[in-house]
Amino acid sequence: MSNAIDTRMFRNLFLAGAKNLEAKKEYINELNVFPVPDGDTGTNMTLTIMSAAREVAALPEDADLKSVCKAMSSGSLRGARGNSGVILSQLFRGMCKVLKGLDGQITIEDLVQSFDKAVESAYKAVMKPTEGTILTVAKGVYEKASEYDNDADMEEFIDAVLVHAQKVLDSTPEMLPVLKQAGVVDSGGAGLLEVLKGAQRYFRGEEMDLGISDTTESAPEEEGSVKSEGPKSKYTYDMAFTILLSRNFNIKQEQDFLKYLESMGDHASIKVVEDTAAMTVHTDDPGLVFQRALSFGELTDISIVNQHAGGKQAPKAEEAPAQAPADDPSTWKDAGFITISVGEGISAVFKDLGVDQIISGGQTMNPSTDDILHAISLVPAKTIYVLPNNKNIIMAANQARDLTGDKEIVVVPSKTIPQGIAAIISFAPDLSGEENLAAMTEAMSMVATGQVTYAVRDTQIDGKEIHENDIMGIGDKGILAVGKQIDETTIEMIDIMMSENSGELISIYFGEDIKQSEAEELAKKLKDKYAGCDIELISGGQPIYYYLISIE
Amino acid sequence: MSKVAIMTDSNSGITQAEAKQLGITVLPMPFNVGGSDYFEDINLSQEQFYRFLEEDVTVKTSQPSPSDVTAAFDRLLEEYDEVVHIPMSSGLSGSCQTAYMLAREPRFQDRVFVVDNQRISVTQRQSVLDAMKLADNGKSGKEIRDFLFEDKFNSSIYIMLDTLHYLKKGGRITPAAAAIGSLLKIKPVLTIQGEKLDAFSKARTPQQGKKIMKDAILKDIDIRFGGLEGACDRMHIQFAYTGDRDKIDEFAEMVMADLPGFEPPVIQPLSLSVACHIGPGALAVACTKKI
Repeated sequence: MSNAIDTRMFRNLFLAGAKNLEAKKEYINELNVFPVPDGDTGTNMTLTIMSAAREVAALPEDADLKSVCKAMSSGSLRGARGNSGVILSQLFRGMCKVLKGLDGQITIEDLVQSFDKAVESAYKAVMKPTEGTILTVAKGVYEKASEYDNDADMEEFIDAVLVHAQKVLDSTPEMLPVLKQAGVVDSGGAGLLEVLKGAQRYFRGEEMDLGISDTTESAPEEEGSVKSEGPKSKYTYDMAFTILLSRNFNIKQEQDFLKYLESMGDHASIKVVEDTAAMTVHTDDPGLVFQRALSFGELTDISIVNQHAGGKQAPKAEEAPAQAPADDPSTWKDAGFITISVGEGISAVFKDLGVDQIISGGQTMNPSTDDILHAISLVPAKTIYVLPNNKNIIMAANQARDLTGDKEIVVVPSKTIPQGIAAIISFAPDLSGEENLAAMTEAMSMVATGQVTYAVRDTQIDGKEIHENDIMGIGDKGILAVGKQIDETTIEMIDIMMSENSGELISIYFGEDIKQSEAEELAKKLKDKYAGCDIELISGGQPIYYYLISIE
Repeated sequence: MSKVAIMTDSNSGITQAEAKQLGITVLPMPFNVGGSDYFEDINLSQEQFYRFLEEDVTVKTSQPSPSDVTAAFDRLLEEYDEVVHIPMSSGLSGSCQTAYMLAREPRFQDRVFVVDNQRISVTQRQSVLDAMKLADNGKSGKEIRDFLFEDKFNSSIYIMLDTLHYLKKGGRITPAAAAIGSLLKIKPVLTIQGEKLDAFSKARTPQQGKKIMKDAILKDIDIRFGGLEGACDRMHIQFAYTGDRDKIDEFAEMVMADLPGFEPPVIQPLSLSVACHIGPGALAVACTKKI
């Protein structure tokens, strides 16, 4: 048995891991503790790893280890969705930092070192690391691995590590009471184990299809993509591609290249993330653009759409920036806002409050780091406030902030739509980013959010027995009310919220499944019950959540 | 020592009755309501004015007519050697500019001094009181004008509006204030620092708005006006409101709780020319530096 893995094997192990996670996606989704129809862990982790797998698969057969590592690292960082996706991307990033320096042969000791770096990188990405999660499983992998050295047999090593990882995963309910109560293991940890299992199966010589389809991401792209409408270009081809940079690409070269692109057409943009540069341009001469781009490295994720041909537009084309981002910082405004929202009514409220870019998503689909980076590139402002409005998007927003160089990005950790609204309202143009973050954080603490939706499965949580299709009223700290009727459950939830924090204003955002008249009926009941309160009724138009309630 | 008369307009919130008591002259501000002319505190009371606003009748502000202004100057100069006139902020009305031009007529030169110190309502009122004190101390009209002018930015006002309706309707809205959203219930907090009424912050509820104003005025006293320690020796605090008086006392109590040693603050209705743009239900707090 060989005691080292070569580049080809490593690449295939990664692809096998990605494929196996994809195959187990629904099983992972089922492990979610909250029985809400949300963007789930399995989906998020799969989209994250597939973004990396596509970049790896697009490399030439004989690509070296460094290129594979670059593709894995940048593909997952940019494609990261949801907290588990961000942690997964940080694991790959840390791992690749060690592996990319090797000469094409990976030994057990190299792997141990790379796992160490992976765990370090992932823990760093989380503000308050929690045990009993994917982090614990990753740490378990490293700890078991570190018992081995190059004298050991690779297959034995892999098997031992996996057995241990499974053990750690099985013990997660002992570390996190919510898991125990719901009777599940941690979903993120389970996702990581599926990646490892895929690699193990391939290493054992199992026949596996490693083909990575290009379409995996197309459906979510539509939901999670940045809305932008702009002037049509007079040039024929809308090009977008990514350069895997083989040499240093400094600011001067970046600007020169951008100028070159602008001389060839319009809507030109360059976004450098680690070792990759994502480009877009509308031009009449794609050949010249490619030729110049090839001088910086290999190309991947290539898309060319003939804009004048009409009809058949590839999904990628919609993603291209509609307007060339103003590349002259002196023309930028002081402050801009990006928020993640769903529902026409809620998006209209954000627009009304002065938000520049709204990334559609949130409850149903968590946008990727790349979606957020793209929105950032479209806002010509020196300081951009990003409001995720969902706790599962905050880490992707932080990751986007860390990957942005030319603008100050302030991630305001809003966990709900009402928190995001409260934060924007409290914004003061004269204050610095840091001061505004403090003021916005305080404003968010003054608003209580309640969300009413239905259960997608039977479970037990927060001491409540929940059956599939039950109506649930979810507060900031957990499930407050469970019932069969939407109105009743909503009012019960509000009663609990009002008893916890006396409010002056109850805002009701009703969803797409609720009629105006039904919402008015609810508002009237609340007005009778809480005479001292202002009641505000807004058509939110959000899917899945019948009502979003805020009390402040 | 020359005898100096003090004159202001009804934006100062000083009523005709109070003016008589203080021995000063208050020009009533004219309003046009549904085609008829009214004068503040002459034939237009606070109650009447708010009834007009509620009925959504268009209330237009205008300036005192030049002949009324010069007539007042002439009348005062019969009895006094000099006149110091303190009209409402030039940032909010053209009446200051007009008065300034009229005062340049030869018969008023070096006798009538118009102070453009950009104050309004309770802070304008304080300027009037300051001017009276300076006149009593034997200062000349020119000295009083120069002093008040130097002192003009030593004041600060925060106002929370109950609604954006009147601000938008009046069209007197700065771009910053116009950016305040209109789909949600939002209570804008405005500020007057010298010049214009400008957006300061926003609140969703009255409690939030009151806290924003309180924090802002305490911060001003602390940072701009020499610290909170011993502030009662250096500062005046005033409160003003539009519409019903019922909410202002509670707000005043809330602010004064953190300002020990102060005399009971002046609380008065905001002048109608401001009320006309912001509507009823507004609360305001101001501070001015003592002279």
